[in-house]
Amino acid sequence: MMIEVEGLTKSYRKGSAVTEVLKGVSFQAARGEFVAVMGRSGSGKSTLLNILGLLDRPDGGRYRLDGADFSTADDDALSAARNRKIGFVFQQFHLLERASALRNVMLPLLYCDDESDAGATRAEQALASVGLSHRAHHLPGELSGGEQQRVAIARALINSPALILADEPTGNLDAQAGKEILDIFRRLIAEGRTIVLITHDTGVASCADRTLVLDAGCIVPSSPAGAGVSRAPGSGGRA
Amino acid sequence: MRGTRPRRRFVRSLLLSVQLLAAHPLRTALSVSGLLVGVAALIVMVAVSEGAERRVLERMRSMGTNLLIVSAAPAPRVLGRPRQVPIHTVLRAADAGGIATESTLAVAVAPAVARPMVVRAGGLNTATLLTGTTTTGLRLRNLQAGSGRLFDDDDDREQRRVVLLGPTVARNLFQAVDPVGRVVRLGSIPFEVIGVTRPLGTDPGGVDHDDQVVVPLTTALRRVLNIPYVHTLLIQSRSSDDLERLEDEVRNILRARLAVRSGMAEPFLVQNQAVLLRTERGASRAMRRLTMGAAALAALVGGIGIVAVMLISVRERTREIGLRRALGARRRDIRRQFVMESAILGAVGGTAGVCIGVAAAGAAAILGPWDLVVSWRPALLGPIGSALLGLVVGVIPAARAARLEPIVALRTE
Repeated sequence: MMIEVEGLTKSYRKGSAVTEVLKGVSFQAARGEFVAVMGRSGSGKSTLLNILGLLDRPDGGRYRLDGADFSTADDDALSAARNRKIGFVFQQFHLLERASALRNVMLPLLYCDDESDAGATRAEQALASVGLSHRAHHLPGELSGGEQQRVAIARALINSPALILADEPTGNLDAQAGKEILDIFRRLIAEGRTIVLITHDTGVASCADRTLVLDAGCIVPSSPAGAGVSRAPGSGGRA
Repeated sequence: MRGTRPRRRFVRSLLLSVQLLAAHPLRTALSVSGLLVGVAALIVMVAVSEGAERRVLERMRSMGTNLLIVSAAPAPRVLGRPRQVPIHTVLRAADAGGIATESTLAVAVAPAVARPMVVRAGGLNTATLLTGTTTTGLRLRNLQAGSGRLFDDDDDREQRRVVLLGPTVARNLFQAVDPVGRVVRLGSIPFEVIGVTRPLGTDPGGVDHDDQVVVPLTTALRRVLNIPYVHTLLIQSRSSDDLERLEDEVRNILRARLAVRSGMAEPFLVQNQAVLLRTERGASRAMRRLTMGAAALAALVGGIGIVAVMLISVRERTREIGLRRALGARRRDIRRQFVMESAILGAVGGTAGVCIGVAAAGAAAILGPWDLVVSWRPALLGPIGSALLGLVVGVIPAARAARLEPIVALRTE
């Protein structure tokens, strides 16, 4: 199993008020599985994704990533795991404005030890895999939204992580650009990577193998859109 | 391999910092401006104080630090009443001989007279200082022949009308022509120019030691001034360490020779060259300490400037920090990046400051009357010290950046 989550709880304290964000979330995701997470604002989606991405620690419950338990890991170990095992894709792309597409893609290499001199080559390959070879030396400001998100995906892929975590990756894109992003995700699934994706868009969720719906910190069994059953045609990447 | 990894990380992180700073030229310039001005001012101040120090040292070399100067001083009061007529007349050339034989510490004694004098040659004249002294006096005064020859003991004994011109006088009267062999008039008396002395330069008090003419002592006393007494005695000790004991000794000898009873004011002044120069040197040291204070102030102001801009930078780049943490940057990677940026800012400010300071000091030395010495030490210490300063003050914003929680940082708009 790529992801094993059991009874995950998390609450935030603001002054004297304690907000329970996750109230015992359990699920599993296999290698090569595409999981969509849906739910209203404040349902705990982002908190769940942060915990899955080792950016935040749960208060209770168990989380195993690729068989490893990070509950007692120190900050350095978490950083290394984020660098090697996880690729992040954000709604706002989070590219460095002053760096070229290629430099942005190479950013994670700055934080891994065994980077060889082939870094630039790998970055070029990653850009090529999202169809942006010709844009390598452009600044983010010179790229369209869809292209920027593809740069961000190339950045997430540079260290060949097994898990991709995407927080509304198509939320800021038009339909066409969104479709291109989803096509790339399908290809990644075919390559055997696991994707967990947060979305509000049932169309996007319908591309996933499975949809988890969060409501008030709990996973509810069925979703209104019936996602997870009806999969979009041509999405059968995971044979 | 293991050894190259941290170095590679360091180099990459350095390159990244340079890129980031280059991407914000205005902010970078603003943050280093305080340090730049401080370092530049410091370079100029150090150049000024080193210039002063060098002048003192040069004078020490030219005058020697082992000289006592005894001058006949007017006694301020005699029997409780102020005297109108200054008594310059107590010292005789014979006192020089007396000290030379009686003193155990003096190695050379030379009497000397000095009087303002108009010197004429051809149609030109110049007001200068006439000095009369012995051959020993020439040596103690560090007077050497630049052209022609110095006078000798025979010239002195025979009261010959021979004169040495200081370079300034030679230039004033003869311009480019070599005056050796020519005749000048001291007052109305014709003298043969036998030599021009080597330049001694101008002292910090503005006295041009090259604006004088020197004649044998007896010639000055008998033929020019017509006086039986001398104005000063130059006394040399073996080393500057003996100078204070020599001063006591000379005092006692002179008190005895001049029959000065205890309790009476001495009709002479003893100036200790070493003490004078030490005082002057102390002044330039004080100046240097002041400079050090200014350096500390410049460092403080420069450091505050860097911290302020770095803190703004951390705030501005909160999201970027969050992103880097998400992509695998450890806290110490973030910390290192900001410390490095701060150190680079320091080095840039320091280097620019040194360049501007050196340029300003150089321009001042060329355009103005100031004697400035730009030495390599502050020019080297400026950039290094500033980089270290940046490194140290960078710790504060770097710690703040490293403390940011990635999820909080990423959420920042």
